[in-house]
Amino acid sequence: MIKKVLIANRGEIAVRIIRACREMGIETVAVCSEADRNALHAMLADQTICIGPAPSSESYLNIGRIISATITSGADAIHPGFGFLSEDAKFARICERCNITFIGPTSDMIAASGNKAQAKKTMMDAGVPTIPGSAEAVTSVSDGLRLADIATYPVMIKASLGGGGKGMRVAKSSEAFEAAFLTAQSEAKNAFGDDSMYIEHYVEHPKHIEVQILADKFGNVIHLGERDCSIQRNHQKLIEETPCEVLTEDKRREICEAAVRAAKAVNYENAGTCEFLLEPSGKFYFMEMNTRIQVEHPITEWVTGIDLIKEQIRIASGEKLEYTQDDITLNGHSIEVRINAEDPEHKFRPCPGKIESVYLPGGKGVRIDSAVYSGLEIPPYYDSMLAKLSVWAPTREEAIRKAQTALGEVIITGIKTNVDYQYGILTDKDFVEGNTDIDFIDKHSRK
Amino acid sequence: MELRYLFKKTQTTSSEPENKNEEQIPSAPQGLFHKCARCGETIFSEELRKDLFVCPSCGNYFRMYASTRIAMMADEGTFEEWDTDIRETNPLGTPGYEDKLAKLRDKTGLDEAVVTGKCLIDGSQAAIAVMDCRFMMASMGEVVGEKITRMVEKATEQKLPVIIFTASGGARMQEGIVSLMQMAKTSAALKRHSDAGLLYITVLTDPTTGGVTASFAMLGDIILAEPEALIGFAGPRVIEQTIGQKLPEGFQRSEYLKEHGFVDDIVSRSDMKEYIGRILAMHENKGEFKEVKYKEEKIAKKSGKLTPWDKVMISRGKDRPVAEDYIEDIFPDFIEFHGDRYVRDDQAIMGGIATFGGHTVTVIAESKGHDTKENVVRNFGMPSPDGYRKALRLMKQAEKFGRPVICFVDTPGAYCGLEAEERGQGEAIARNLYEMSSLKVPVLSVIISEAGSGGALALAVSDQIWMLENSIYAILSPEGYASILWKDSKRANEAASEMKLTAKDMLDLGIVEKVIDEPEDLKEENLGSVTSRIKNGLTEFIKANLVFDSSALCEARYQRYRKFGA
Repeated sequence: MIKKVLIANRGEIAVRIIRACREMGIETVAVCSEADRNALHAMLADQTICIGPAPSSESYLNIGRIISATITSGADAIHPGFGFLSEDAKFARICERCNITFIGPTSDMIAASGNKAQAKKTMMDAGVPTIPGSAEAVTSVSDGLRLADIATYPVMIKASLGGGGKGMRVAKSSEAFEAAFLTAQSEAKNAFGDDSMYIEHYVEHPKHIEVQILADKFGNVIHLGERDCSIQRNHQKLIEETPCEVLTEDKRREICEAAVRAAKAVNYENAGTCEFLLEPSGKFYFMEMNTRIQVEHPITEWVTGIDLIKEQIRIASGEKLEYTQDDITLNGHSIEVRINAEDPEHKFRPCPGKIESVYLPGGKGVRIDSAVYSGLEIPPYYDSMLAKLSVWAPTREEAIRKAQTALGEVIITGIKTNVDYQYGILTDKDFVEGNTDIDFIDKHSRK
Repeated sequence: MELRYLFKKTQTTSSEPENKNEEQIPSAPQGLFHKCARCGETIFSEELRKDLFVCPSCGNYFRMYASTRIAMMADEGTFEEWDTDIRETNPLGTPGYEDKLAKLRDKTGLDEAVVTGKCLIDGSQAAIAVMDCRFMMASMGEVVGEKITRMVEKATEQKLPVIIFTASGGARMQEGIVSLMQMAKTSAALKRHSDAGLLYITVLTDPTTGGVTASFAMLGDIILAEPEALIGFAGPRVIEQTIGQKLPEGFQRSEYLKEHGFVDDIVSRSDMKEYIGRILAMHENKGEFKEVKYKEEKIAKKSGKLTPWDKVMISRGKDRPVAEDYIEDIFPDFIEFHGDRYVRDDQAIMGGIATFGGHTVTVIAESKGHDTKENVVRNFGMPSPDGYRKALRLMKQAEKFGRPVICFVDTPGAYCGLEAEERGQGEAIARNLYEMSSLKVPVLSVIISEAGSGGALALAVSDQIWMLENSIYAILSPEGYASILWKDSKRANEAASEMKLTAKDMLDLGIVEKVIDEPEDLKEENLGSVTSRIKNGLTEFIKANLVFDSSALCEARYQRYRKFGA
């Protein structure tokens, strides 16, 4: 069993990991940048090593310094948290070479998941549904039409060298294809000097559904249900919940079993997440595998009763999963709200600064994951997330009421936060009625 | 009270430590990381290897093992090592010297400080030597000298080009005067190799100093360097102590040497193989001249008669294409070489090699810039003595390899300045006229805009001279002419007519062989109409000279100039 863990991260996830380790009787080593000497994780760990100046590249992303901190502190494992080096195959590989247990999948698995084209092919071979579309690029309308038929309408036409929305068009039908193709193609030619185009099925108004996976080193893979993360702004998740209200039992089983197949196809181990897009029609498509613990893991913990961080540590220590799929039951409903230091009235710009005072709620079914305290200076160098508020109740309706009540008690003074903005979503009619998809924020900000 | 002192921490005294064996204890295995000597960054070795030992964080060049260097340069599986069994004789009887070498052999797996052999580089054969600093700082003892000499001799025998990657602390102290003799020995072998008409490329890597710099390192037909390598004869510390002065920033680095005329170019590690491969290919005789007929675009009807003064103004026009534009169009694979090997790299003249129809040629051009900024660098196309000496060096190189020389002439005149006189502007121009008159390869000059006086003539003692229709050629500027003869430079317009400086005048006077038609508003966009004509002319010129008799060539050139006079 792992004896001493170095946490290569900061903020609430570092605190979360320290707590789990402490409960398991495992010693903890925190690393911090010079800007984080007073951060909660740095004060809470058994031992703290300052590894460099504030910029991440010189501290939390600096592999050499983190490895030497690990070796000198005598830690035998590293928990990477999320973000920073958590999905860096090179980092995992160096840990492997140094006999440091990387609490996560192997470097090869991280690398394989990072290669999108290869991952998509692996999933297709394993019978996991992926977005139908061309593996090859085309330059003529006739070739495009042929591929569009295979991909099924509506289709997305996008420049093979594309980016930033340039050279992208949606064609709803074969009648509209030619015009859309030619416009996108001429845009692509102007912007990138290349007119080869990809054609794939356009997933309209999907929900973002992800499935939590646990896999041990012995090939046992289970899922812990799904999470609906459709409330997003610029691909940043704001509110997550589980279960997803629109899934029938059969559909849930179908998606979750696809996720288990996906994990097995890459011999996955440790905790991971399979992301899917779910169409209103009920069709769903594999997007990618996240090879780390997710920000929103607490809601899964609420409904399953399983501590995911502890499971990660047990699996990394070489233990067998204690549960089979039959042991897993999903109870009630859970919602998580992310509280960020940002200003919704000014394009969500980050608002670092000193927290004058903070009051966070509690009570039955309310959980706070946070690293803030009164008097803490929030440095401008890192992610702006301050806290995660998650709640549990037997039904979605009750869970929403509980989230509204708890969020209504949150007081953070000294810096701007998105609390009011989030409160607005929680009380929005469409949200309450479950009319959500990934365009929710776009639609509502236009209102 | 800070929170850190209030929290109760781990209460666990979690059992006694497991009995782990050595291999299970976390530790960084030897060689897993490298530390960058410049920025201090710890770099994962695998990544460093992938980046060819260039620091991904600051771009610093790590020194390379000879074996790694060879793997980087040679086509896979083609390297054949030579002379691995030569042992030192300890000529001065230095105590402990043999033991020291034996230990180094064990430690490095090298037999001495240089690895020699032959290989293919992008398909071209070459003899290659790579020095390795791990072995006695790659100092040159008798074995290093011997291995290099044998390699060069074998290359001469087998008619192979030679490439040496240098790196050395200098002479080997333990071998004293015998070490010094290696400088003469290797240089002598290279002279024979060169006399056999064979190509020698040196690549200077960090550090190249002392006796190696003062022998084979500086003798390349083409001298390349890795970025920021220390290159010098005396070490910087010795110089500082001797003269009691602080040395300037960048002193004795590759860039400094290039600026001072000793390095043809600085090539990054990632480009090195391709770059050398191209040079080697250009020095191999590969089959037939590939003749292409270029479509000569129609040139629009002209407005009317331009006066000589109009042509003076056109030839100086700020949008008029400069030599670089012609080279880009006519010789897209041009490789530029820098420096005169004496003082400086004068950017008013650019030169190098390129192919035309698969035939390698040397290209030399007086170069103006496109705008003021470029013109400052190129000194408005007014060469200094260093420029003419660079041109002559490249002509001599062309002569050695038997390839034609193509010159583009475009200068208001040779630079008129203090340093130009100090370094012998007159001598430099004279030397070019003198040497060009008997250069044993075909020479063609094309006057593209202004050809001012001796500064132009220094690139135009040629077998043929062509002129663009609106270019001018004169003994001095019309302004100068008017001011000398009439004490009034404002009468330049009048002078231009009197001086007979247009292309038509030159054709009538027998100064040039051909006038090239051009549009009235010649600029980069319509340059193709002119370059297609030059390319067709060039095809004829090269075809006529595919086989040439150099003495007949020189005699004709002699007569070409002999005829001007009473």
